[in-house]
Amino acid sequence: MFLAEEIIRLKQMSVSDVVSPNVPWKMSAMAETDLPDLLARVALQDRAAFRALYLAASPKLFGICLRLLKVRTDAEVALQEIFVKIWYRADRFVGGQTSAMPWLCAIARNHSLDVLRGRKQETENLDDETDRLVDEVPDPEAQTVINGEGRRIDRCMEELDPDRAQAVRAAYVDGMGYQELAERYDVPLNTMRTWLRRSLLKLRVCMDR
Amino acid sequence: MTRPDQSEGDRARDEVLAGEYVLGVLPAEKRQQVEQRIRRDRAFAAMVARWQENLSSMDDEYTPQLPPESVFPQVQQRLLTRNSQQTQLSGFGRLWSSATVWRTLALTLFLMLIGVAIFGLQPPSSLKTGGQLQAQLKGQDATNMSLLASFEPRSGRLVMTPIANSQAEPKSLQLWMIDGNAPPVSLGLMPDIGTGDVIIPDAMRRRIANGVTLAVSLEPKGGSPSTGPTGPVLMSGQMAAR
Repeated sequence: MFLAEEIIRLKQMSVSDVVSPNVPWKMSAMAETDLPDLLARVALQDRAAFRALYLAASPKLFGICLRLLKVRTDAEVALQEIFVKIWYRADRFVGGQTSAMPWLCAIARNHSLDVLRGRKQETENLDDETDRLVDEVPDPEAQTVINGEGRRIDRCMEELDPDRAQAVRAAYVDGMGYQELAERYDVPLNTMRTWLRRSLLKLRVCMDR
Repeated sequence: MTRPDQSEGDRARDEVLAGEYVLGVLPAEKRQQVEQRIRRDRAFAAMVARWQENLSSMDDEYTPQLPPESVFPQVQQRLLTRNSQQTQLSGFGRLWSSATVWRTLALTLFLMLIGVAIFGLQPPSSLKTGGQLQAQLKGQDATNMSLLASFEPRSGRLVMTPIANSQAEPKSLQLWMIDGNAPPVSLGLMPDIGTGDVIIPDAMRRRIANGVTLAVSLEPKGGSPSTGPTGPVLMSGQMAAR
C-alpha cells in the first residue's frame, strides 16, 4: 500500500518537476536524442513522457500543420489528432538507428495532407490504434533501415531543372496538389504531372547511382 | 533479357507512385489506396519508406511554432475520455453508454428463454436440425444481436449462442478485451454456431485478468477489417473474480 502511494507521489513529482508546461524554453533544450527514449516510454503508456514529448515536438509539428493547412483553428485540431495518433502508435517506432523527428513529422504531414485533401476521418483513429499482438504491418510512416543515403538527396535535387526542383519542394513543403502546382507554374495539369513524375524518377536514379 | 521489360516498368511506376504519395500530391482516394498497398506489399512499403527518408530533409523548411496552451489539455481529455469509455471515437460513446441497456435486454432475453424452456412454448422461428430445436431470440428494438437457443430434448440441454442478426450484409460479432488505457485487443469472433465458446490465444490468456473489460462489437462478416472495432459496441462488462 505504502509502496503504491510512494510510486504515485514520485510520478507526480516527476511530471511537475521535470516538464513544467510553464517553462516552454525547456523544449528547445530537449535534444533530438531524447525523443526515441520518450517515445519508448510513451509506448509503455507513460503520461509524463507523453507530456515531455509534446513539449519537445509540438512546435515543429504545429509548424507543419500551419504551413499545410493555413487556417490556424484547423491546424490546432489537426495537432490534437496527431498527438492522439502518436500516443497509440508510439510502440511502432523502432528506436536506435532511425531518428524520431522525421517519423513524427511524417505522422503530422500525413495527417495534415489527409485533412487538406478532404479525406474522411471517420474511422481513422480506430484504424490507427495498434493491436500489439497481431498487427505487424508497416505504417504509412514506416521506417527504413538506415542505408547511408543521408542527405545525398540534396545533391540530386540540384541536378533537376531549378523550376522542377522548386515544384517538388512546393509539393512537399506546402502540400500543393497537381492542380495548384499547374496553376502556379502556368502549365497544363498533365504537363505538371509529367514534370513531377519525371523528377521523381530522376531523383531515384540519382540516388541509386 | 533476364528480366521482362514489364516488371522494370512496373517498378518504375511503383517508385513514382510511392514518391507521389510521400510528396503528398495524390488525391484522398488515391492516398487511401496507396496506404492499403503499403499494408500488404512489403516491397512497396520499403519504397515509400525510402522516399520518406530521402524527402524528410525538406522538413527543415517547417518553422517551429508554439501551439496554444489549450491543445495539450484537449489531447489529454480525448485520451482520458477514451480510457474511461464514456465516449468512444466517432459515435462509439452513444453505444458504450448504452451497454447497460443492452445488458438488461440480454437478461430479459435470458428470462424469456427460460420461459420458453419451462413452458415449452414453440417459438415461431424454431426449426428442426437433427432432433434439435432452435429459437432466435430478439429484442423489441431494432437490435443488432440476438441469442440463438438450441435445445437438445434428449439431454435437456439448452445452449445459447449470441449471433448477429441477419442484416443487409452478413455480420459477425467480435469479442474485444480492453485493459486500462490500451486500445481494444481482439479476442476473436463469436462463433455463429455451437456453444458460443471462444478459445483465447495462448499469448492473451494471462492478460485476461480481474478488471479488464470485455466488449462485443458488430463487425462485417469475418471480423473487423481494422485492428480495432469498427462497428457499434453492443455489450460490455468488466471481469471480476467470483
